[in-house]
Amino acid sequence: MSYWKEIIEGGWSLVEGMRVTVRRLVRPVVTVQYPRKQLTLSPAYRGHIEFKVFPEIGTHRCIACGTCQRTCPSGVIKVQGVKDHARAPKVATHYMIDFTRCSLCGLCVECCPTQTLKYSTEYQLEEESRWDGVYDLMARLEERRT
Amino acid sequence: MAEQFQEPVVEQIYTLNLGPQHPSTHGVLRVLLDLDGEFIIKADPVIGYGHRGHEKMAENRTYKQFMPNSSRMDYLSGLLYNHGFVLAVERFAGVEVPERAKYIRVICAELNRISSHLLWFGTYIMDLGGFTPFLYCFDDRENILDILDRVTGSRLTYSYCRFGGVNRDLDGEFISMTRAFIERLRSRWTDYHNLVTKNVIFIHRTRDVGVITPELARQYGVVGPNLRACGIPFDVRKSEPYEVYDRFDFVIPTGTKGDALDRYNVRLEEMEQSCRIIEQALDQLPEGPHINEVAPFKVKPPRGEIYFAFESARGLTAYYLVSDGSPYPYRCHIRVPSFGNLQVLTEVFRGTLVADAISILGSIDVVIPEIDR
Repeated sequence: MSYWKEIIEGGWSLVEGMRVTVRRLVRPVVTVQYPRKQLTLSPAYRGHIEFKVFPEIGTHRCIACGTCQRTCPSGVIKVQGVKDHARAPKVATHYMIDFTRCSLCGLCVECCPTQTLKYSTEYQLEEESRWDGVYDLMARLEERRT
Repeated sequence: MAEQFQEPVVEQIYTLNLGPQHPSTHGVLRVLLDLDGEFIIKADPVIGYGHRGHEKMAENRTYKQFMPNSSRMDYLSGLLYNHGFVLAVERFAGVEVPERAKYIRVICAELNRISSHLLWFGTYIMDLGGFTPFLYCFDDRENILDILDRVTGSRLTYSYCRFGGVNRDLDGEFISMTRAFIERLRSRWTDYHNLVTKNVIFIHRTRDVGVITPELARQYGVVGPNLRACGIPFDVRKSEPYEVYDRFDFVIPTGTKGDALDRYNVRLEEMEQSCRIIEQALDQLPEGPHINEVAPFKVKPPRGEIYFAFESARGLTAYYLVSDGSPYPYRCHIRVPSFGNLQVLTEVFRGTLVADAISILGSIDVVIPEIDR
C-alpha cells in the first residue's frame, strides 16, 4: 500500500515542480543580451583610479606627497613630482599605476589629502600584453583635456 | 569437489581521488576515498591547494591594508569577513562607531548572508542533479548583488567597512530596492518549496543521509547551520551579540536529526530570519554620519591580543590579533568555520555510498579558499 502511495505522492511532487517551471516559461526574460544592450553602471562603481579635473585650475591637484603610494596594499602606484623653485609647491610629473595588480580597495582615493583621485567607469578592458595594464595617468589626463 | 574450483573472493580496496577538479567539490578540494565496492570505508580530505598565505601577509601590512585580503578568504560572504575584521580592530584600538554605521553594516552583512545561502542552495541542488533551481537562485542573488553594488561599488570582494564606519552612505534608492527585494524573495519561497523541498527525488537523496550527531559535532568543532541542524541552538549573534544584533527580534532555526535535509531546512529558514533582521534594521535606521570623521588615520592598537568571534554565513568565525604597539599586526590568526565542518566528513563518510558522499559534501557548504587561506 505504502509503495503505491509513495509512487502517487512522488509523481504529484514532480507535476508540482513542472508547474513552477512552466509558469516561469511565460514570464518575461530576466537576462540582458549583453553587447547589444547594456545595464547602467552603479553610481558607486569602482574602476581604476583617475585624476579629477578641477575647473578652477583646469588640471589635477596632485602634490606628489606619496600617501597613496604608501597606503596601497599591493604597491600599484608610483608617483613622482618636482618643485619648480624653492617656494613653489610640489607638482606631480609622473603618475603610473599597474592595474593588473590592483585589488580595487579604494584606500588611495580615501587617503588623498587634496581629493584629486576618482574612480573611472571603464570596465571593458582588454589588453594584448601585461604591460598594457600599466596606465600613465598623466597621459590619460592630457588625452581627456584635449 | 566443486568447492575446490570456486574462485576465491578477493577483497579489493579501491582508492578513488574525488577532486581536486571534480565539479561537485566546490573549489580545489581533494578527497581520497577508499572504496569497497560502492561503499566508502575511509575518507581523507586533502586541503591546501589554494593556499595564499593571508595570515602571513597580514604581518607585513598595516591593519587598513589587510582589508582587501579579508574579503578574499571567503569569496561568498566577503562582507561578513570585512565586518568581523573591522569589529575586531575597532574593539582592539578603541575606535568609536556612529549608530548609523552600525545599522548599515548589519543590513549589508545580512544581505550578504542571504546571497551566500542562495548560492549554496543553487549549487547543492545542482550537485544532486537538478539544474533549474540553480538559475532561479542566481536570478534572486543577482538582485542582492545589484543592491550591494549600488552601495559598495563591487559585486564580490567588497572592502566596504572602514575603521569607524563604512565608506559610503546608504541612499533612499537602496532602501526601497532592499524592501522590494525582501518582498520578492518571500514570494519565491512557495516556488522553491514546490520545486525542491517537496520533490521526491530530493527527499530520498537527503533524508537520513550524512547524520551528524550532537556529540560528533562537538568533538570536531562543527559550527553554523550544520551545528544548528543537529539541534544545538548556537549562534554567535544570540550568544554573544556583537554589533546591534541584540536589538533585533529573530529566532535561531534548529533541526532535529542532523541529516542533510535538516541542514537544508535550517539554511532556508535562516534566510527568512535574515530578511526579518534587515526589515527591522531598515525601520530603526537612525540619521547621522556614516563614518567617524575623527577616527585615527593610522590604527595603532596597544600591546596585547584580542580574540573576536562573529557569525559568518558558515558559522563561528574569529580573528585573533596580536599587537606589539606598531601599526602592523604581530600575528593574525583566523579561525574559519569550514575547517571544522570539513573535518567531520572523515567520520560521516564512513559506510556511505559514493553518491551520498556528493550529497553530504554539498550539504555542509564548505568554501575551500577559506580553509586554505
